[in-house]
Amino acid sequence: MPAAIRTDKLTKRYGPQTALSNLTLEVAKGEVFGFLGHNGAGKTTTIHILTTLLAPSSGSASVCGKDVIGDSFGVRAHIGYVPENVRLYDTMSSADNLTFFAKLSNVPEPAARIRETLNFLNCEELGPRLVGTLSKGQRQRIGLAQAILHRPEVLFLDEPTSGLDPLGIKTLRDLIVRLNREFGTTIFMNTHLISEVAKTCTSIAVLNHGELAYQDSISGVMKRFSDDAALEALYLSLTPKQVA
Amino acid sequence: MIETFPQIKAIAFKEIHDAIRTHIIVAVAGFLLLAAMVALAVSGIAMHVQVAAYNEGRDQLIALGQSPADLPPPAFFPLKLLRGFIEQIEIIGAVLGIVLGYRAAAIERGRNTLALVMTRPIGQATFLAGKIGGNLVLIAVSLAVAFLAGTIGIVLVAGVSLSAHECLRVFLPFLAATAYAGSFFLLGLYLALHLTRLPHALLYAFAIWLTLVLVLPQIGDTMDPDNQIAGGVFHKLGIAKPQEREILATFATYETLRNAIEEASPAKHFERLTFALTGIKDTYNGMAIGPVLYEKLRDVLTLVGIFAGLCLLVFWQRIDFTRITKET
Repeated sequence: MPAAIRTDKLTKRYGPQTALSNLTLEVAKGEVFGFLGHNGAGKTTTIHILTTLLAPSSGSASVCGKDVIGDSFGVRAHIGYVPENVRLYDTMSSADNLTFFAKLSNVPEPAARIRETLNFLNCEELGPRLVGTLSKGQRQRIGLAQAILHRPEVLFLDEPTSGLDPLGIKTLRDLIVRLNREFGTTIFMNTHLISEVAKTCTSIAVLNHGELAYQDSISGVMKRFSDDAALEALYLSLTPKQVA
Repeated sequence: MIETFPQIKAIAFKEIHDAIRTHIIVAVAGFLLLAAMVALAVSGIAMHVQVAAYNEGRDQLIALGQSPADLPPPAFFPLKLLRGFIEQIEIIGAVLGIVLGYRAAAIERGRNTLALVMTRPIGQATFLAGKIGGNLVLIAVSLAVAFLAGTIGIVLVAGVSLSAHECLRVFLPFLAATAYAGSFFLLGLYLALHLTRLPHALLYAFAIWLTLVLVLPQIGDTMDPDNQIAGGVFHKLGIAKPQEREILATFATYETLRNAIEEASPAKHFERLTFALTGIKDTYNGMAIGPVLYEKLRDVLTLVGIFAGLCLLVFWQRIDFTRITKET
């Protein structure tokens, strides 16, 4: 399967501090990729580089075959991004927010696409409501809607379940799986939650202090470790300093 | 460009919509309008007091059997009533600009939406063009409302109608005010987009406003020998312009320093231009607009230059996403 995301010795330094060191990985098209790591491991930095928000210090990266530095517009045309704690414009309705982002992505017939997207996410009733009045889970769904309006090939999610209640987590997890199955969207997901990875992802990588510590398909992981608890043990063994 | 224009329009409309919904523009522009109208009302009262004093003097002369022709009527130029009004625009118009500029960047940083916008297939220039376009419309509309109210106010207070020529003399200061407040908008936007700590942007912007709009013009005014007596030293002593120039020539170094302090302030350039256009400054009273603009070309170019320079700076410097998201 061709690669949707490819990085080669990707490195990012902030002054003397190295946030990401020689990261080389490949995510195939159509995968749900779980990117695990402790706080400050470099997960968000990786997403920021892959979404063209940050320039790497060295190394290279491409998304959908487009170089993140040389063809940032090309990358942006093929990606959607939901940051952690997405807030949107809270004085505008969800529909107005989505119309705004649809126009920025030059989506043809934005009104029809917004209806279709809200329908897909089972949240048509949120359209006329002000974003400022939405719950965290509802806002996360509108955040997801803005990211998939233009039907991106690759969707980046930064801690998508952060702060959600168990029902909100399950709803979002189901949506991610549906999105991947129905649209074939490649999903790159930063997360802390081992249980979510096991239920959602088709492959994983673990980042420890900016370095890739482990990468495998979820079936490969499951062959080695039979249950969630074992997967958790693997994660903890790879990120000892965080746990301590 | 064909694909870029709808994106610029979308960002500009969002800015306008958002500013109206948060009531920020209504609050600042409302305050500007109120202050400007109060200043106009005060000028109107002063004018009526002057007219009443003249009428009283004329009646007394008639009662004494003397000709009222000996008492010259007070010179009346309706646009002179705009003096306080323009001074309010000078101070609060700059605040309006700073508030809108800061807000335009702060809402994106605070809401985490800058990342959402900048991961769309749009360039930084498109993003900024939308922001600047939308907010300049807000500034222009706020000032247009104030200037329109000011013009209607003159008609009501003075009880005179304004000619098309006089309306043009009000319209040109409106354009100057838009460029002036627009410059402070660009300053607020630039600082809020590039400083690591957002509150520092507001702090620095107001420190610059305080220096340029209040402190420097005040120093210049205080140093002006003609300002030492209300109504002007030279005027009160009956010294004609040529003699005044001769006297001031002996203070050339002092005068150059004073002028340099004033010229460092965009507020003073705005004031000099608008006072000349409206005839508030006696020298330009009755002069046609063309010669006034020619004589005040330096002020026009300074205001346009500051605006264009800040525009270039805002467009030129790349937004460093790392710095502004590493805020504490």
